[in-house]
Amino acid sequence: MVSQTDSRVTIITGAGSGIGKASALRLAHAGCIICACDINEAGLRETAKTIQSSGRTCFTGQIDVRDRESVESWCSEVADRFGKIDCLFSNAGLNARSAFDEMTLTQWNLVIDTHVTGAFNFCQPVLRHMVERRSGAIVITSSDFAVVGVPNAANYCAAKTALYSLTKSLALEFAPYGIRVNAIGPGPIDTPLLRSGRTQEQYESARRNFESRLPIKRLGQPDEVAAVVEFLLSSGAAYITGQLVQPNGGQVIW
Amino acid sequence: MAKDNEHQGRVAVITGGRGGIGTGIERRLQSEGVTVHVLDLSDDLPADPGAAGAIHFHSVDIGNEAQVDSAFDSIQSVSKRLDYLVCCAAVFRPQPFLELEPENWQQTLQTNLTGSFLSCRAALRCMRPRKFGRIVLFSSMIARTGSVKGAHYAASKGGILGLARTVAIEAAADNIRVNTISPGITDTPQPRAFLSDADLTQRRSRIPLGRIGAVEDMVEACMFLLSEQSSYLIGQDLRVNGGASLW
Repeated sequence: MVSQTDSRVTIITGAGSGIGKASALRLAHAGCIICACDINEAGLRETAKTIQSSGRTCFTGQIDVRDRESVESWCSEVADRFGKIDCLFSNAGLNARSAFDEMTLTQWNLVIDTHVTGAFNFCQPVLRHMVERRSGAIVITSSDFAVVGVPNAANYCAAKTALYSLTKSLALEFAPYGIRVNAIGPGPIDTPLLRSGRTQEQYESARRNFESRLPIKRLGQPDEVAAVVEFLLSSGAAYITGQLVQPNGGQVIW
Repeated sequence: MAKDNEHQGRVAVITGGRGGIGTGIERRLQSEGVTVHVLDLSDDLPADPGAAGAIHFHSVDIGNEAQVDSAFDSIQSVSKRLDYLVCCAAVFRPQPFLELEPENWQQTLQTNLTGSFLSCRAALRCMRPRKFGRIVLFSSMIARTGSVKGAHYAASKGGILGLARTVAIEAAADNIRVNTISPGITDTPQPRAFLSDADLTQRRSRIPLGRIGAVEDMVEACMFLLSEQSSYLIGQDLRVNGGASLW
């Protein structure tokens, strides 16, 4: 692997837990300057503390990705403080499971606004900045569910498929500026999101179910997804754009 | 996180290791401390294989079952292990469909698809007992997009995707990961044999990132799939094409 020890300024949304946190730690270890945001202040503080204790830089912002104004102002602050934005990992997400006929508009909007509009809110100011510098790389967290559906998560599946489509469109629009945009489609990863909305017993049962059903026979770890994010943001992936790369243990193969 | 030198001391087989992409991968693996066995036709092997350092050349018709099995047997008996298989061996002689000769069809399928089957089968027999293996098969963007004068090539490369996906789910529980790479047009002697500079310029204008792929792009993708960095990727196709095809 090409090791890049330059100080690429990297924005990570949803950096307070799970895949976002693992990516922040991994990219910081690789030498990136991490600009981490999350709506969850405690998680964010924990991520920053871990990175800073190893002598690396982690700038933080407690941001609701749905709040366009605060996103724009925080991105400007990052650009002013560090002089550039090299990479964006647009990752913030949540789940609000429900049977479709009982799904409220609030549940629908929460998931669509956080994932899809949240990515739009970050990508636009960051891309304006990257276009000026004619360089940059973006990774967006989509999902296996961009390709296949799953019951009781129509909002989540719609959001993740929208993000894949957004990725392809941005890849084509910004390739002439030397900017690459790719998506990741994680499968079942052992994160707080996987546990959310499940009792410990339900989680254990889901985990056993995944272990027997997945070709690789185990849940993925957040760092295994972070490794893919690291690759896609690196010069090793210089000829890869508009693609969905799926660290999913073989859950979806197409 | 992955060790810095996880490849050191491992053993790899590369089929078609004398082609443009194969040669790039062979050199990179060698520089990472991997013992590399190259399986290719004798016409493509260097006149003085002894001069090639830690690279071992085996003269093999990759579509010939007996030759492939015998080469893997001899590698296994010397090295006692096989960690990586990279299948690059491929032929492409473009012909319009109505003029496509059955011999060309047959030879293309035999080398590109049956050769991948034979290599994977022989490699799995070596890898399974040690519960470790990484396999990368080269498909092509053409497997999805098709190509004028390339029905036989598209069929063979599409077949590789189906083969790889199935082997991937059969072998995953034994810690053997199988994935594919689908390159777009890459700057190697193979396309240059059929495309003029003007053709290449025209192709380039249709690629969003504005350039033909480089061998190094494919080497990087291959190293990613061989390494621990892709530890949760099973049966996936990495499309390295500058945005020329988005699925």
